[in-house]
This record gives sequence, structure tokens and C-alpha cells, in this order.
Amino acid sequence: MLYLTATLHSLFSTLRESLKKPTTVEYPKFVRTRAPRLRASFALTKDPAGDENCIGCKKCEKVCPSEVIALTTTKKPSPITGKSRGYASDFTLNLQGCIICELCVQVCPTDAIVMVKDQQVPGFTREDLVLTMDKLYANGDNKPRLAWANASVLSEHQNPERKNA
Amino acid sequence: MAELLVNPWLRGLLHGALLITVLMTAVAWISWFERKFAGRVQSRLGPTMVGPSGLLQPLADALKMFQKEDIIPRGADSRLFRLAPPLTLFLALATAAVLPITPGMLASDLDIGVLYALAFSGLLSFPIWVAGWSSANKYALLGGMRMVAQGISYEIPMVLSALVPVVVTGSLSLSDIVKYQASHHWLVFSPPGIGIVAFLLFFTTSLAESNRIPFDIPEAESELVAGPTTEYTAIRFGLFASAEYAHSVVSCALASALFLGGWDGPWLPPVVWMLLKTAALFILVTWVRWSLLRLRSDQLMALCWKYLVPVSLGLLLLTGVWVHFAG
Amino acid sequence: MALTETTTTPPANMAAGAHAARRSGVEHKPTRAFVPDPYLDLATYSADADLLTLSLGPQHPSTHGVFRVVLYLDGELIVKAVPHVGYLHRGVEKLCEKLSYSNITPILDKNDYVAPMCNEQAANMAFEKLMKIEVPLRSKFLRTLLAELQRIASHLLWLGTFAMDLGGALGGGTSVFMYCFRERELILDLFEELTGCRFHYNTHCVGGNRHDIPAGFPALVHQTLNVIESRLSEYLGMLEHPIFRDRTRGIGTVDAELALELGLSGPLLRASGIDHDLRRDAPYHIYDLLDVRVATDDAGDCLARYKVRLEEIRESIRLCRLLVDNIPAGPICSTKPLSNVVQFKVAAGQAYVAIESPRGELGTWLIAGGNKGQSPYRMKIRPPSLHALAAVPYLFPRHTLSDAIAILGSLDPIMGEADR
Repeated sequence: MLYLTATLHSLFSTLRESLKKPTTVEYPKFVRTRAPRLRASFALTKDPAGDENCIGCKKCEKVCPSEVIALTTTKKPSPITGKSRGYASDFTLNLQGCIICELCVQVCPTDAIVMVKDQQVPGFTREDLVLTMDKLYANGDNKPRLAWANASVLSEHQNPERKNA
Repeated sequence: MAELLVNPWLRGLLHGALLITVLMTAVAWISWFERKFAGRVQSRLGPTMVGPSGLLQPLADALKMFQKEDIIPRGADSRLFRLAPPLTLFLALATAAVLPITPGMLASDLDIGVLYALAFSGLLSFPIWVAGWSSANKYALLGGMRMVAQGISYEIPMVLSALVPVVVTGSLSLSDIVKYQASHHWLVFSPPGIGIVAFLLFFTTSLAESNRIPFDIPEAESELVAGPTTEYTAIRFGLFASAEYAHSVVSCALASALFLGGWDGPWLPPVVWMLLKTAALFILVTWVRWSLLRLRSDQLMALCWKYLVPVSLGLLLLTGVWVHFAG
Repeated sequence: MALTETTTTPPANMAAGAHAARRSGVEHKPTRAFVPDPYLDLATYSADADLLTLSLGPQHPSTHGVFRVVLYLDGELIVKAVPHVGYLHRGVEKLCEKLSYSNITPILDKNDYVAPMCNEQAANMAFEKLMKIEVPLRSKFLRTLLAELQRIASHLLWLGTFAMDLGGALGGGTSVFMYCFRERELILDLFEELTGCRFHYNTHCVGGNRHDIPAGFPALVHQTLNVIESRLSEYLGMLEHPIFRDRTRGIGTVDAELALELGLSGPLLRASGIDHDLRRDAPYHIYDLLDVRVATDDAGDCLARYKVRLEEIRESIRLCRLLVDNIPAGPICSTKPLSNVVQFKVAAGQAYVAIESPRGELGTWLIAGGNKGQSPYRMKIRPPSLHALAAVPYLFPRHTLSDAIAILGSLDPIMGEADR
């Protein structure tokens, strides 16, 4: 009867699948490699001389659709060059509201805020998920985790004159 | 100690206690096996964290279930609500009393063993329906009604196909049936052709009786949340889950005793054969569960009354004719 | 986000808006008297008959998202079904009235959360039409490729959840569900290679795309599609079972008349025999260069919808293979990269754009002029799922509860876009 042959077919399909290697892996023991462009968390970068890139222009705060960035601008002399320029003090980014849209990375004029390709984003307390300036700069110092995208790269992709041979 | 074993009452009691212990332990680890098997079928690992390869997962589940809050809905009939789970488990375990584990070990050597086993497994739809009725929940009520309809319908082909070995051996006692199979050949092979169909029919109807997919419409999770047991929490739900697995295992053991020769087999001790056969059938039950979709309730009823009942009646008739002429 | 004003007076030329007529080729004049509840046979139904009122409530293992249907059951048979939507309403359209055009895309991702590319494309195409911006050719190719990949992913998810509805959250249906999701993960990995996110990409912008394809992407796409195609045939055999046929044949039949009157679109419409596909009849992106083979079926029941969606998966695989090899060189965005919150100011205008999402016709109607031109004055999204759910009172009666679940699964509603 059709029932019997179809049932046997289903049974053997599942048997075949069960004898293959499972697709899932146990996460902390085995971390699979993600794409180079993965965007998960954030970092603030410093330029090669060691000076903070962020000039406190507040463009990221204004563009964020979820309003999760808050920063205050101060003007103070740079520890590297000595000239007075804008800095951000009290930069907080609340990851709990962030929708990872990358718009803040896109608008930054100095490539200061970038995304981090990090899978260890979860935390145990709510404070772990509010990125403060020291956490953001700590992320930025950790070069291997930085993401592919920063404002320059994204602007280059969206350049109307791009050739792309 | 030997005097204890001579007295048939005490012997039966001891065997029964041993059987219940083994069954309940098996039921706990069957959930581990089911989850691991399901995982492998679905291309994922099953439980892996608790104990090596997740073997202590049933302990974790039991502990979790013990510490949950016991909720009885306000509109529920609380006496019936509380009665249903232990009654289900009792009926599922009581069916095992007549299973011959080894030639000497049998909790209760009843002359009407088959009748007893089928009667008790048929009674199982009753406490589940009571659970559905007393829950004051429409989903549970629907599930309970479906359970009753399915349970009493599939009783008929189950009994009729179980009667095939009875007619061949001429005895309702399970230990006699197994002894007959030990001395002749297994009843799945005789009557030739009929035995195998009777075995398949008994297997299918016991799937339906224990609410396994493809017949699990009473507790269809995607429609009725959890069916008759929706409102049950904590250990009450644990008793229902254990009863379902216990009923499955006992049905597999019954099928192996009736058709596959029970403890009969070369080289290995009889108890190992009984366990192996039961385990093989249970693996088949699990395998079917994770491969098939479920039948709708009216299709289920149509399958039973339009196909299985006539086939089982025909089988019984043919068996009678064969016994008469071929002896 | 410094956009705090919302204007209350509509812009001047709102009344004079003209929407481009679509070449749909489907003329429909209603021929039957429209009855709100045609299956509720008023001659035999009495309000105090012994009916069981069951609320397939917003929290249920198998209503797709938060959707409530109040069923009136006579035994196992449904006599009347009343759907209630709105449990997932988040005020997205109102929110869009205070966001600038470049900020709207990440919010609209969350509408149809199973096929976010389609939401982004529909909205950005409307913005481009409003601002009369032409998208470069490479971006059109890329958008088409992403739309077709998203169609495969969405239909795979549908297949898995449909099997789960039919076969049990703990049973054979879950096995098919896991296989479908395993394949879908491969497509999501492709999206991760391209955009960085598996879901909610924000990869479209006004004027084109934001992320260009990385090196080695075409080879990866081919590899993924080969794997999906081979595995699809493996486990589809599990659904060729007579149990599946019996559960879906003749269930929830949508006839062509009902489909046209309710405004159904997509696989629902095509399974009822009407050959209408926006990709072929009102082409956008580069669909006019592609020869899209549209799958139709005449039966209109759940089995027909299943077959149509399966054919669509196969067709999308074929289209993706064609597209990914032939993406032309050039820029992917014709507007300058975003460098400020407000990039565009449009004082007035209207646009309506509809695309063929996996669920049907997903449309965006846009009136510009809010917030001194920085945001839309009104942004209306036409969700295909809402129209599909409108068919529920017509389809559920005379079926049992199990069939109702199967029908709901085959309508493929996504509450995120139905409720917005």
C-alpha cells in the first residue's frame, strides 16, 4: 500500500540524516568562524599616534534611529599634538536598544566609531550591556576583533563613482 | 530467602516490585534516548551538558519537575484533577504484571494474561479523559474527547490482532504463548504471512493507544498546546509523561511476547533477549515518531474503522481456518 | 535624532496625486453580492446552539506570531471564525513620520521579519521614485539577487513551520523543520558575508545598496545553491507521504473570485489559478531582463499553495544562478554616502511602489512633506499578510481544528507586517 512504501521512505530519510554528522556544535568548546563583515558590538578607535579619533561632533547620536548613543562634547588640548580640539566625554552606547543598523559607523567623519566582530557580546548584568568609553576604547585596542566596516570603507562602497571592475 | 521465593504471593510481589523499579528507571532514561535520537535525526546534538553525553539529563529533568509550582485551576474539579495522573501511571504499570521476563520470573502468572493486559491498556483512555474533563480548559476537553474516541476505536483491531497468537497457541496465558514460541517458531512467522500482518497491526494499534505520532491527535502540540494534560504542572505532569512512556514500553514488551518470542533466543540469557526485543521495538516506535506527520482525527477514525477492523477480522478468520486445517 | 516636529497640515498637492497604473492584465468586476460571512449559513445557525467558543489565542504554539482567532466549534467542526489582529502593532507607520528617509530602512526591516530584504527594497524604491533618483545597474542586479535569495529563505522557513503545524512540534514535522532551517542558515550565512548581519541588514539605501559584494561571493552563492537543491530533494520525499496529501488536499480552498475580492496576492493568488506575478507583469529591478517562470495551480487548496511555493523555490534558485554570474561592474549607489542625519529634503510628492515579496504584493505608499521635508508626511505599507488573514473567516468554517491550523500555516501570515 502507498502508506507503507511512503512510510518506509520517510523512515529511511530520517535514518540517513541521523547517520550524518550533526550540523550543530557545542558553542563554548567550538566557536565557528563568522564572516569578516560580521557586526556585533562597537569600538572607539585611536589614530596611529595614539590620539582619540572621536571629535565629539554628535553625528552618531543624531543619526541613531533608536537613540541609544549619548555623548557630551568638550574642547581640550590633545595630549599628542598639543592643539585644542573637540573630544567626547561620557560616551555611552546602550547595546540593549541598539538595532545594529551601522548608521552611526557610516556617518562618523573621523572613522572613530566602528563595529566589532565579536561573539562574546552577552553579559550578566545590564551594566555589562551599556558600553561606556573605557569599554569602547578597550574594544578598539583589540585590533583582531575590529570589524571590516568603518565610515571610509562604507563611503567607498557607496561612492557613485566606484568602478568595481 | 529461599522460603520467600517459594511462596507464590511473595514471589509475585518481589518480581512486581523489581519490574516497577526497572520500568520507572527505564522510562526516565528513555526520555534521554528519545531526545538524543531526535537530535541526531534532526542533524543536531541532543542533550550534552549534564553528565557524559547528557546521560544525567533525566535526573535534571526530574529535579526541575519536582520544584515547580503545583497549580490546580480554580474551575477544575480538584478531586478528579488529582486522581487522573496516578491512575494513569498505575494502569500503565499494572499492565506489565503479566509480562514474562524470564521463564521463571513473572509477576503474576494469570491464565488470562492477554485479556488482562489488553483490558488494562484499554482502560488508559479513561484517566486521560478524566484529566481533560476536570481541567476546566477547552483545549483539554477537546483533547480528552479525541483521546476517548481514538482509544476505544483502536481497542478493537488491537484485541483482534492480539487474538491471532491466542488462537494459534490455544491459550490466553502469556507465559504459555512464550513457551509455545520457544518450542515452535516465533508467532510472527506462523501462520505464514498472517503472523507478520497481525504483528504490524498490533504494533500500529499500540502506537495509536499510546498516543504516539502518527496518532497523537489528542495531544497535538501544534493545535492543542498539550491536549488533555494542558493544565498539569510539576510532578503531576511528570506522572503523565512517565505513564505515556511506560505504556509505550509495556506495549512493546507485549508485542515482543506475543509475536517475537519473548525471552526465547540462542546463546544469550532470556532476560537479555526480552530486553533486546523490547528495546528494538521501542527504537522503531521512536523512529516512526520523528519521521511522520500526524493524522487528523477523522482520518484516524477512518483508518481504524474502514481498514484496520476489517483486516483484523479477516486475519482472525484466516488464523482459525489455518489452525483447523494445518493444526 | 533632532526631528521633533510633525506637521499636521497635509502638503499642498496631496489631492492631485497620480499613481502609476500597473500592467497587471487582471480585470475584475465583482459578480457576486458581497456577504461578510458567506459560510455562516444563517438559516441553520442559531446563536444559542451548543457551540464551543475556543479562542485560538494570541499565545499559541502554532498561530504564526501573535494572532487570535475566536472559533465557534460544533464538536470538531468550525462553524464560524473571527480573526483579531493588532497584537503586534508597534506604530511603525507613525514612527516613520518623524524619522528621516535614511533612518527609516532599519526600522522597516522589522516589519516582515522573515524577508527583511523585501521591506527595505519596497521602501527604498518608493523613496527613489519620489525623489526621481535612478539606481545604478549593478545595484539593480544586486537587489534582484538579494530578493530572490530572500525568497528562498522565506519559503524554506514557511515549509518548516508548515510541516511543524501538520506534524507536531515534537514529531516528524520538527524533523523537516530542522532540515529547512539548516538550509536557511546557509543563505543567512551568505547575507552575513555580504552585509554583516544575518537578519535586519539595513543594506539598502536611497539610491542603491550600501554593501558591495565581497570577493568570492559568486562561488559561495553557487556552492550554497547546489547544497540547497540537493538537500531539498532529499527531505521533500518525507512530505510526499499520503498523510501529508490527506491533510492538505481540498483544505482551505480559495477560489479565484474570493482571491480577487479580498486582494490576495502572491502564492495564494497563483494557487487559485490566477496567473499574476508582479515580477513579470509590472517588472522592477531587472526582472524585465529575466524570464520569470511563474508557477500556478488550479486547485486553490493547501496542497496547491505548497506546490506553488516549492516551484518558486526552484525558480528562485535558477534565477539566482543566472544573476550571480552576470553582475555588471559599476557603482552600487547613485547618491552620496550618508554623512548627516538628514540627507534628503522632499517638500511634496507621492509615490506608490509594489514588489513581489514571498507573501505577495508588498506595497509602500508615500506622501512626502512632513517635518519640513525631512520625513514622509504619511507612509503606508500594504502588507500582503493582512489580506491573507482576511480570508480566515471564509476558509475556516466547515473544517476541523486541525485543518484550521493547516490553513493558517499555508496562508503564511507574518504578524509583523500584518500589524506593523
